[in-house]
Amino acid sequence: MTMDPRAAMHHSEVAVSVELQTPDMTLNLGPQHPSTHGVLRLVAQVDGERVESVEPVVGYMHRGYEKLAEVRTYPQITALVNRIDWTSGFANEIAFVVGAERLMGIEAPPRAQWIRLILTEMARMANHLVFVSSYPLELGATTPMFYALHERERVLDLIEGVTGGRFHPNFNRIGGVKPAAGGGSSQKKLAQDLPKGFIDETRFAMEKVFEICDTMDKLIVGNEIFRGRTIGVGVIPPDQALAYGVSGPNMRATGIDFDIRKVDDYLPYSEFDFDVPVGENGDCFDRYMMRLHEIRQSARIILQALDTLPSGPLQAKVPRIIKIPRGEIYVRSENPKGEMGYHIISEGGRGPYRLKVRTASFSNLSVLQWLLAGVLIPDIIAILGSLDFVLGDVDR
Amino acid sequence: MARFKIPGVFVGMGVTLKYLFKKVPTVQYPVEKEVPVPRARGVIALDTDACTVCMLCARECPDWCIYIEGHKEEQPPSKPGGRARTRATLDRFDIDYALCMYCGICVEVCPFDALFWSPEYEYSEGDIGAMLHGKERLSEWLETVPDPPALES
Repeated sequence: MTMDPRAAMHHSEVAVSVELQTPDMTLNLGPQHPSTHGVLRLVAQVDGERVESVEPVVGYMHRGYEKLAEVRTYPQITALVNRIDWTSGFANEIAFVVGAERLMGIEAPPRAQWIRLILTEMARMANHLVFVSSYPLELGATTPMFYALHERERVLDLIEGVTGGRFHPNFNRIGGVKPAAGGGSSQKKLAQDLPKGFIDETRFAMEKVFEICDTMDKLIVGNEIFRGRTIGVGVIPPDQALAYGVSGPNMRATGIDFDIRKVDDYLPYSEFDFDVPVGENGDCFDRYMMRLHEIRQSARIILQALDTLPSGPLQAKVPRIIKIPRGEIYVRSENPKGEMGYHIISEGGRGPYRLKVRTASFSNLSVLQWLLAGVLIPDIIAILGSLDFVLGDVDR
Repeated sequence: MARFKIPGVFVGMGVTLKYLFKKVPTVQYPVEKEVPVPRARGVIALDTDACTVCMLCARECPDWCIYIEGHKEEQPPSKPGGRARTRATLDRFDIDYALCMYCGICVEVCPFDALFWSPEYEYSEGDIGAMLHGKERLSEWLETVPDPPALES
């Protein structure tokens, strides 16, 4: 028996005997919503407080990087690709330059590789510091944001001191890092090694980073409200993670021990001693903890790398006009958000014939439709935020 | 007897209490300013005397935001009896900072040391068209180019 729910409300003796039939409501979240890290639109069908289905609508930030790359030369593309995921600009460049170097059959000198590794880990740290502070913000805790972003600013200042850019370093070149001798011969351009005091400042900043991790532990991890909102919420089982191509900390939170830094050799990670944190339950809390632990591990790697920093040139011998011989290659790297890979197809020219970009956020976001079916409305934001995506990385 | 455990909310409040007595890290912008690092990519400065209108920067720019025009000028011979030479002179050197993505490729490819990075950053405009700066404005910034930082050995 169906009846008008408003009528049922007025006749309380009827209401107890009748199951309330509520029509499904379409809840439109976004495209401009502070918790969507850009412009993501979610069209949710809700039945009362329960979400029946969610359809993520992406593409509002499509900038066509793959097509842009086809009409640009290789040195120009490194400037483009660090804008794909703007919270970890430096880490985006690595896989592309390593791929181009492998196609050309050259290798960056050790010092350049060490500097790349240090700055990549700093980018990872900066990215994760944003996550560990902005995720509580999405759940209603404003305080951690201000504390963690201060330490992130320290890390970004270090990146800026070396590269000149806080967000978009554009420091990698095919064959090394920014050329020791630029186009001209003046001293202003010669000086592109690490600036004086970088090592000491980095050591100090790493201490502060360890401190902020402990602060976060006290401030938010032990918080009962935070635990209540995240533990057991948005569980991704390992088989679903693999089926949807979830990678990075999101995948490791489900209990799969896989890190591209350990299995591939795009940067000399095998020289360093670090742990890959692995979760158990694959819920929002585990995903949060993965990032918090990874910040500490990145700091460990950076401290070791500073001790073993080799001296030598920063740039391998490369021709002035870079042409890559015909061929194709796929190089993947462990971006802070997951697996980021570039498939470069070269026809022998100054730019690629085709550049396919595999970004972590897109695959991580694709699990959303499966994950959000059947959750409560407040959990949408909790789950959405825990996936740590950036819309630039989704749409590219 | 179970050990008494302080609730996490209060542990967190202890942290905020500690932060209450820390020095405030922010600066109040128009009154006090942070000093950018020497390598900061603030604005591109141009040395008009060094530029030879070779167009390398305009060609290598990933979003083609540099507009250069020039002409050839007959130079009188440097020694009596010498040959008159032509020299390229710069008529127009505009950078559209509304398009520029601050990658620094132009500074890097310049073979004659005419372009430099300056950490200057206060040149915002209310109108997007006013972001196109000509060579006069670009050479004003040349004075703000800092010396390169000392290097880590």
